[in-house]
Amino acid sequence: MNRPVALLPRAPKPDLGSRLVAAAVACLLFMLDAAVVIADVAPARAKDPVYGWVLYNYHQGEALKALTLLEVARERGGIRGHGAYPELVEGGLMLSYGMPREARDLFTRLLEETKATDTQPDINESSAGERGADSGVTLAPGIRSQAWFYLGKVFYLEGDYPQAHENFQKVDALVLEESNSELYAEWLYLRARLAMLSDSDNSSYASSHESPRENPSMNASGKTLVEYLRAQLKHSGLWAHYLSYNLAMAEVTAGDVEKAQQSLRKLISGMEGETPTNHRNSEYRALLDKSRLSLARLYLRETRFNDALRLLGAMPLDSVFSDTALYDYAVAAAEQGQLQRALDALEALSQRTLFLSWREQVPYARGYVLEQLNQPRKALNAFAQASEHYESRGRELIATRQSLTEESLMARLSFLRNNDDIATDAYGRLRVMPSDFGISDVLATEPFQQALSELNELYQMRALLIRREGQLGTFETMLETRRVQRERRSREARFELEQQKAEEWVEQQTSFRAEIEAALAAEDVGFFMTTKQKELKARLDRVAATLAQLRDGSLGNGNSAEHQRDKYARMKAYFDWTLANDYGVNRWAAQKQLRELNAEMQQFESQRAAIEALMSGDEKHDELAGRLIRKGEDIQSLKAQVQEAIAQARSILMERLDKALEQQGRELRRYLVASRHAQARLADQLFRAGQNAEAANE
Amino acid sequence: MTDSLKTLATALLAALMLLTGAALAAEPDAADDSRAVAERVEDLKKKVIRLNRDLFILEEDLLFPASTQFAVFLSVDAGQFLKLDAVKLKVNGEIVASHLYTERQVTALERGGMQRLYMGNLKTGTHEVTAFVEGMGPDNRAYKQAATLAFDKGTETAALEIRIQDRSSDYQPVVSIVEWE
Repeated sequence: MNRPVALLPRAPKPDLGSRLVAAAVACLLFMLDAAVVIADVAPARAKDPVYGWVLYNYHQGEALKALTLLEVARERGGIRGHGAYPELVEGGLMLSYGMPREARDLFTRLLEETKATDTQPDINESSAGERGADSGVTLAPGIRSQAWFYLGKVFYLEGDYPQAHENFQKVDALVLEESNSELYAEWLYLRARLAMLSDSDNSSYASSHESPRENPSMNASGKTLVEYLRAQLKHSGLWAHYLSYNLAMAEVTAGDVEKAQQSLRKLISGMEGETPTNHRNSEYRALLDKSRLSLARLYLRETRFNDALRLLGAMPLDSVFSDTALYDYAVAAAEQGQLQRALDALEALSQRTLFLSWREQVPYARGYVLEQLNQPRKALNAFAQASEHYESRGRELIATRQSLTEESLMARLSFLRNNDDIATDAYGRLRVMPSDFGISDVLATEPFQQALSELNELYQMRALLIRREGQLGTFETMLETRRVQRERRSREARFELEQQKAEEWVEQQTSFRAEIEAALAAEDVGFFMTTKQKELKARLDRVAATLAQLRDGSLGNGNSAEHQRDKYARMKAYFDWTLANDYGVNRWAAQKQLRELNAEMQQFESQRAAIEALMSGDEKHDELAGRLIRKGEDIQSLKAQVQEAIAQARSILMERLDKALEQQGRELRRYLVASRHAQARLADQLFRAGQNAEAANE
Repeated sequence: MTDSLKTLATALLAALMLLTGAALAAEPDAADDSRAVAERVEDLKKKVIRLNRDLFILEEDLLFPASTQFAVFLSVDAGQFLKLDAVKLKVNGEIVASHLYTERQVTALERGGMQRLYMGNLKTGTHEVTAFVEGMGPDNRAYKQAATLAFDKGTETAALEIRIQDRSSDYQPVVSIVEWE
């Protein structure tokens, strides 16, 4: 007979952790989602469009896209105006994308940074999640306590009990009870489980304020911590019942069967007198049935068959444990001598259509009961049928193992799909049903589910990388197009430059500069004359030339040539004086113009040089091309790593299935051998009985 | 398979998952292998996110250089007076983007998300952007409204937001276009 197994929210084994962590992290995600909503109430609008865009994807469940955008934002200097919320959202996204370790590290860091807001009365839920001036995170007390609880639960489910204990200790009991009574009950329950574990492995996960004595698991009133927590849980429904059940199982383990029976009886009678809430009704019924089953098995162990029959007979036939109860009922009835009842129970079990490996014992048990009922011919037939059944199942198993490939496995599974993706449940498990129920119990195991889920994730990753590879191909086309367009623009620019006759301009500027410098050196006043002065000089020169052609006295009285020459001389003298007077100003004006021209020419030259440089080479293009090459290499490397991980995950999955099938095969062989022995024994018995009858007749 | 059989199978699978818990502890090597694969998968996911980031930035650098980059986002504030159905966007008289919204997208917008409706390139200078919003307004009546904005594009990245807000004074939705600094 199977030993009772403590079930449901009993401390999971560490190797179950990673999948079960999803349960806690899903809750953490919901909690953070609530936090985001809280954040949205106060700053209703995203203060950074990238954050708004992240939320747009986050609320649609597009975790990868949102995580990518957060990474892009971080690369470009981060998101402004939202404090620590982008990080909280990132943690939630990591959880939903199946990165619990990364998320755990992020949340741990954020919560460690949390400021003690209890002492700051002005901080309320609406300012939750802001990053303070000292870059610490300000979380509302309720949210902070819930976050510590969920983190503790993540560690607990991973089997890291010291870390779980440490995080649970950071929860403010009053705040948690006020903000979420259901979580508060679960918190008490998990702490009680830790305390039970610490009792069994001599480690201490007890709270110091509740256990001031030296003995860490005892408090001031002399109660053990578990008792204390159980008393706190008294009116919290299912969590209290779970704890009672697990305590009873611990008593069984400790060898105190009598006490365990008492505990289970008390639990059952307590639960039978309660009316569970609708949403937890099925869970409530499952625990009640499991408690009855466990108590019945304890009765069976002590050969109290009547008590066992009474208890098992009261169990509903539509319970998840009804098959197991039916089998135990058959065992109890057989042991009690009520063989017909045992046979009826076994017949009922044989009618069940689903194949489950533990039910392999039913065909043999049927023969056994018939034999006990002193119906040797019927028993012989039953054993013969059992042998045939085991032989046929054995052949099926061998064939299955021989043809075991990933494809043949997948052909035996029926996946529920959500658009193109395989749907998953809240625990991150794939929504899959076996098409072949021969593998249903293997499929139901946590490691198999985990391996299947990981293989699926790796395939998705490979598909994504193939898409990215295609995208990179289009980038190369874009880059080539960019290069071609650039070359066209370069040709146009070169033509424009040629049209500008830049060389001529440079020559003119050079010659002009040389002339000015020469005039400066020679102090050539005439060179620096203004246009007006030049005009005056030309007129004076013309007058001088005219006067030179005139004879003295040729113009008559009052207008004699001498008189005009004197006048000219005076004008000339005045002009020369003006020139001498303006020389400094004129020279400075010319030099200023020269400087401006030089500056313009320099700019013109440098622009031309820049354009020439741009035309001769394209650094941006080279940089982009370099990045493209590097990303191409990254994709290839990642593809290889994913492929390697797929091979590993596939091998683990196949190995698990093969081992499970091998184990089934071994059990089948045992039943086959036993059935054949019984068959031979009964045939011999009947033969001898026949011979004896013949001898008696003769 | 009938529904009842499916239900029964699901229930049995659930029960089996619980029953097999104890047996699993006996396979420490297999558990180590599983954990190793799980950690490897997580590590690969991290690398894939980084690769996605690099390709995203590379694509923007290639197609939308910072000096000409122009983006238009869309947000819905509350959404009580308008059930968003479709949006069309015109830049300088040309339709550059149009979008029909799913239930999930509308919910994401109403919960504070912002959609990047359009990403493109614009030269420096003055441009005109027009958004046409359609949906179901108050009293379940078809609702259409347009908003226009003329803005100057400089040499920096430009970002606009089409904002659909509830106006409680007359219980009507309001569409506006604002420029992000």
